[in-house]
Amino acid sequence: MGRALALVALAGGWAAASWYLWQSRVPGSLHLPHLDEHHYFSAAQLHASASFSNVELLFWVLGVVVQVVVLALYAWRGHRFMRESAAGPLGTGMLLGMLGFAILWLAGLPVSVLDLWWQRRHDLVTLGYVDYLFQGWFALGGEFVFLCFALAIVMGFARLLGERWWMPAAPLFIGLALLFAFVNPYLTPTHRLEDSQLRSSVQRLEKLEHVEHTPVVVQDMRDITSMPNAEAMGLGPSRRVVLWDTLVDGRFSNRQLEVVLAHELGHLSRNHIWKSVGWYALFAFPGTYLIARAARRLGGMAEPKAVPLSLLVLVVLSLLASPVENVISRHMEAEADWMSLRTTHDPVAAKQLFRRFVPTTLGEPNPNTFEYVALETHPTIMQRIAMAEAYATSAAQSP
Amino acid sequence: MEHRPDPAAAIRRIWHQCRMHEHREHPVRLVVEDDLHRNRLTVFFRLILAIPHFIWITVWSIAVFFVAIVNWIATLVTGTPPAGLHRFMCSYIRYSVHLNAYFHLIGNPYPGFVGEEGEYPVDVRLPGPEPQARWQTFFRLFLALPALFLSSALGSAGGPTYGGVSGRGSRYSFGGSGLLTAAVAVLGWFASLALGRMPKGLRDAGAYGIGYGAQGLAYLLLVTERYPNTDPTELLADVERPPQHSVYLIGDPDDLRRSRLTVFFRVLLVIPHLIWLSLWSIAAFVVGVIVWFATLITGTPPASLHAFLSRFVRYSLHVNAFLYLAANPFPGFAGEPGRYPLDLALPAPQPQNRWVTAFRVVLAVPAWIVNVGLALALTIAAIYTWFIALIRGVAPWGLRNLMAYALRYGAQLNAYVYLVTDAYPHASPLEGAAEAEPPVAEEQ
Repeated sequence: MGRALALVALAGGWAAASWYLWQSRVPGSLHLPHLDEHHYFSAAQLHASASFSNVELLFWVLGVVVQVVVLALYAWRGHRFMRESAAGPLGTGMLLGMLGFAILWLAGLPVSVLDLWWQRRHDLVTLGYVDYLFQGWFALGGEFVFLCFALAIVMGFARLLGERWWMPAAPLFIGLALLFAFVNPYLTPTHRLEDSQLRSSVQRLEKLEHVEHTPVVVQDMRDITSMPNAEAMGLGPSRRVVLWDTLVDGRFSNRQLEVVLAHELGHLSRNHIWKSVGWYALFAFPGTYLIARAARRLGGMAEPKAVPLSLLVLVVLSLLASPVENVISRHMEAEADWMSLRTTHDPVAAKQLFRRFVPTTLGEPNPNTFEYVALETHPTIMQRIAMAEAYATSAAQSP
Repeated sequence: MEHRPDPAAAIRRIWHQCRMHEHREHPVRLVVEDDLHRNRLTVFFRLILAIPHFIWITVWSIAVFFVAIVNWIATLVTGTPPAGLHRFMCSYIRYSVHLNAYFHLIGNPYPGFVGEEGEYPVDVRLPGPEPQARWQTFFRLFLALPALFLSSALGSAGGPTYGGVSGRGSRYSFGGSGLLTAAVAVLGWFASLALGRMPKGLRDAGAYGIGYGAQGLAYLLLVTERYPNTDPTELLADVERPPQHSVYLIGDPDDLRRSRLTVFFRVLLVIPHLIWLSLWSIAAFVVGVIVWFATLITGTPPASLHAFLSRFVRYSLHVNAFLYLAANPFPGFAGEPGRYPLDLALPAPQPQNRWVTAFRVVLAVPAWIVNVGLALALTIAAIYTWFIALIRGVAPWGLRNLMAYALRYGAQLNAYVYLVTDAYPHASPLEGAAEAEPPVAEEQ
């Protein structure tokens, strides 16, 4: 009875926290009009984006299948690599974790190289194959470090607390997520925004969104990709807006760039980084608990042989959670779009910007349901245009 | 009783056979009959005294270049090097060994100019002309490149080499000056002048470098088709082993199996260890300073701090052995004894000479120089092992032993610097021979 009550209390707390994090400035009464993409994009544009996206989707599905199959095999046979370790249980667990990621990288390489070829073919990526492989290799080294750190936490607590390792581990992971969110801007190489007109726009927008003195900087990405992008990152004193140099290369007008800036400042204004960590916290507890339950049949996470299975469980849980994560992400992006419209009062520039995204990123304006649920972290381009239309209508109606 | 096949035993048998194959005596044998005595006067003027030989070997090398082409074509056609040309090549190799030994202070007497067998205390025995596989002969220059590259770290035999052109002019270097033998020569020069004899460790290290270079040259010049063997125990098989150092390698010498997966990702897998080792190094530095003061005052390192530094030295060896593929398994993070196939026996805290303690860092500089030479060889050997282990799933015995030598020397240097022992690192590639009981390892 007591346990049931505790569970109900936890579920209630979880729901209350979710409700709080879900709060948005987008009016609940806002009605997005149904728009026909053929009115906004040429048949050639729609065909190009559809054919590109279909193959991308195929690669994604292939990649996921390879990932799950490889990890399933590794969960089944991976414990045999224990003989390659002279380290204790903790070190052996780290080795098994790293090898799991290494095998995953190797197995996924053909699909990711094909994907690179596809993106290069469409002039979206400029990165060479050799550079791609080396970058992937070094990135894997970075992943190894984080993985070892995470496994040291999990296995260390598991040795101390048994199956209840997840109770202290989850808050620690949340703390690490906060730390990473804080440190990330300092790890991203950027330089000053040169355009003085844009800089004065930044000051004006920051004032309007109550995020004064937020640095807006530029990241060099043209050696990697031609796709435009921008992001808001950091917490407290580290927060900033990063524009890719592919966004400020003259393909977009200053009015369109102001929409982007207002969107990113909107993220900061509405504390979306904090909220993202909050959502992560809400998933971290049940996630770690489920991993602990799954590892129980192999002796718990204190045993290195449970590591391959825990990797499988982690990846499967992440896959299962990704539609929910996408819903949350789309919700926050929609709010940032709304903030941008409210700040710039320029739905025309917003619509022009979103329309430019189709030829520059080959994103589908109106993807199919599966793609939307599984992959889209932003509202679709048609939804974003619809929001701009809705804003224009509401602005016209207001006195 | 039913007989059940034991796969592990079968694998062990295959490794053993591999080792036996690699253990076949190399036809190019180094002979070291040097008594370590050095004449101070000839040592002081060694470089100048060798000038006539430099001129002579330059002329000889030019001749060898053309003769080698003729020999190559003849061997391709007939399958066996012509006896006359073979003799010419043998004399050249032998002469280059004599000259290298003299120049690098591995031998004392002034060498003759014709490369006669048995006339010099550091000599080389070469095989007679034998049939050679034509495809190997055809690609000999390319096949020899890895060995010649390793020779550049250890010490090649041969004539003068052109060092390339820079904006400030050309640079010539003598062919025998591999990094290790060059270090040996410089350090040996000072030591011989001071002591009147060459330290055995340096002499053995230099002889090893020259011996490997001779094998490489013999392979390149078609004197033999056996590939050079880096195994120090075989190259210096006839050389007396040095006394047992207080820091020496223990573990499983048969640990030759390598997991291809961990080999492929070795550089990445070791990253967590390198991070941990860096953090530990900071602590070890601080503890080392404390131990230095304590040892200066009391004459003996405090037991607990000595144990800490011993663990650090052992852990460094484990990590390096894993990184450089000298060992297979992923090491632990605590430097525990007896847990790794390439392990280190370390002495218990013992009284240390205060003078040696006071000037420890300065005294370590010569050993550090030798270690730099060995580190290059270690890196090259590790790169070769990476490729071979990926293909064969085993590490070559010779390369593994070269790496073990380099790692052992590095560990002895580490132990010396961190005051685990006051025994100076011994540069001999040969593992010391235990005289009586081995030193008591700590943490027993």
